[in-house]
Amino acid sequence: MRSLISSLVILAALAFATAAHAGRPITIKGSDTMVILGQRWAEKYMNEMSGQVVMVTGGGSGTGIAALINGTTDICQASRPMKPDEKLKLRDRYQTMGQEIAVARDGLAVYFNESNPMQKLSIEQLKAIYMGQVTNWKQVGGKDATIVLYGRENSSGTYVFFKDNVLGGRDFSPRVQTLPGTAAVVNAVSKDPNGIGYGGAAYAKGVKDCAIQKDAKSTAILPTAATVKDGSYPLWRHLYFYLRKKPEGDTKKFVDWVLSPAGQQLATQVGYFPL
Amino acid sequence: MKRRSFVMAAMASLVLFQPLRADEAPAESVNEPAVTRAELQGLLDGLNEQIQAHQADLDKLKRFKFSGYVQARMDVGEASSDSVKVSGSPATIAPANLSRFYIRRARLKLTYDASPLSQAVVYLDGGQDRTIRLLEGYITLLDPWTPLHDHQLTMGQFNVPFGYEIERSSSVRELPERSRAENVLFSGERDRGIKLENQWTPQFKTTTALLNGGGVNSADFPNTDPTRGKDFVGRARWSQGVWDLAGSYYFGRQVTALTGPDVWTEKRRVGVDAQFFFALPRVGGTTLRGELYQGQEANPDSAKALLTSPSTANPVRLLKSGANAAHLATDMLGWYVMGVQNLGERAQFVMRYDIYDPNTDLDHDQYKRWSFGVNAFYDGFTRATVSYDAITTESSIGAGRFRDPKDNLWTFQLQHKF
Repeated sequence: MRSLISSLVILAALAFATAAHAGRPITIKGSDTMVILGQRWAEKYMNEMSGQVVMVTGGGSGTGIAALINGTTDICQASRPMKPDEKLKLRDRYQTMGQEIAVARDGLAVYFNESNPMQKLSIEQLKAIYMGQVTNWKQVGGKDATIVLYGRENSSGTYVFFKDNVLGGRDFSPRVQTLPGTAAVVNAVSKDPNGIGYGGAAYAKGVKDCAIQKDAKSTAILPTAATVKDGSYPLWRHLYFYLRKKPEGDTKKFVDWVLSPAGQQLATQVGYFPL
Repeated sequence: MKRRSFVMAAMASLVLFQPLRADEAPAESVNEPAVTRAELQGLLDGLNEQIQAHQADLDKLKRFKFSGYVQARMDVGEASSDSVKVSGSPATIAPANLSRFYIRRARLKLTYDASPLSQAVVYLDGGQDRTIRLLEGYITLLDPWTPLHDHQLTMGQFNVPFGYEIERSSSVRELPERSRAENVLFSGERDRGIKLENQWTPQFKTTTALLNGGGVNSADFPNTDPTRGKDFVGRARWSQGVWDLAGSYYFGRQVTALTGPDVWTEKRRVGVDAQFFFALPRVGGTTLRGELYQGQEANPDSAKALLTSPSTANPVRLLKSGANAAHLATDMLGWYVMGVQNLGERAQFVMRYDIYDPNTDLDHDQYKRWSFGVNAFYDGFTRATVSYDAITTESSIGAGRFRDPKDNLWTFQLQHKF
């Protein structure tokens, strides 16, 4: 019994010794869609709260969630909800369910080249295009030219959102050219008269937004502040912060600031939409 | 990747600086730029083609996923001594020293996602016995009709879908080893067969499987199955997030090979497990977990008591006179309860009490153990574990008296997971 008690004392001492945790910068990693937004939040917050460092990097929502589970980031930025198996991994390591905090809204825009006469597509048509069943603009009311598909890598939350909400979980055509980041998709479509791409509405510079119809009979809606906010634009989503547990201390102050009118106003300035 | 970036950067700077050099050239060459717009476009198109080709190759390579972990361990046993044990007929020599360094697990898993609808896994272990062996090898078909592939069919060698501990990887488990009941009932944790997994709702999942039944560590039938009928396993789990509750059932037949007609006994196991998760403010996440195994199982102690021992002079194995073959299997019971407390994000304290009783009708054959451990997470991939097992068993010392052998164990382990 004495050896049992002494063992317990030694183990408890070891546990408390390793639990000591010095203060450090807040790290944010994840969604490429959100990286500019996160950086702006960090810059403004650091200006207002001198002494606090907030570091923001991208890599994709999946990469950010993996970093959250590995403990290499404090906050994960994600443009999609966590998957059940990711939640289980987090629970396995930290014995918590994690904390999901919606921080902004985003319209997932579909981009055309500015020279493309197309104005709108239904979700059914988009699905057929990205699954490779429709390969020529003529088949959806456009010019006689082969459609060139641009998309994101599978670690991207935007990729997952598009796959789940447009393709109904089915797989992309192998003809999709995957590019690292929404900016690269926008760049490719802006230079390709026959290109089509998708990504955050905030990135749509030098390309034309496609108006989306829920189905063939619905009105085509463009992604604007009003249509994303009232939910009439069909492809809108929440953007999230994920944490391992309820935010505390410096992290809580930062999250509270992001959710405050100042943080939400900044989201609007960057091209996203407030909650 | 770095080399490719460097080559691209070099080419881009060549392209960008050509016009500047033309500007700086003598006046007569101003009207003849070194690179025309069309040439520049051609160059960019060429680069783009190369990038697309590389991207296609990269996409193929990304279908291979390597993962694994290494556990380097030091045990310090209470019973350690500088000697060996010689026992049995023929005599075998076993070291009596339990204090040692060793590699407990060194595992490499290769997953190939051939398509979104199927995948293959090869999982190797090179730990402890220092020979590479196949731990798992299976092919999974994923349903094409649900976005998250909620229905999956797997065939090959895989974890037996019974209970909570078995399917939980050793790389994430809080204590170095599983409970005694699991170790005895599902030695090696894996078997060969076919398995159907159905995630009916986000909370409710069922798994059913048909297996050979011997398990990969079976001494008698590691690669063969003496029974035509296959063992059945079923598991149903409700996962609410902050609590999980599951039940498991296993039914099969077990052979005791004799000189003459063999004896068949039932292998029947029922399992219940539950986990609760909550967080202590300013301390960290907490888990309370419990699992129970109950059923009927062939008992090695019963075999010793009821069967004749084959020897060189009389190499037969028979039921002793008057012995009842049905008594080769006994009612067993095993359970554990444990708590895990995270201390911040880099440390964890864990405590478990587990019991295994191979024959509930008999006294002095139970195995009881208190286990305590601390995990310190060095970074996102490496952790150090210190644990202490206080084991209680009863060993006969004659005249109806028993004592608990000195076999408590300290374990120090470093694990790196990649």
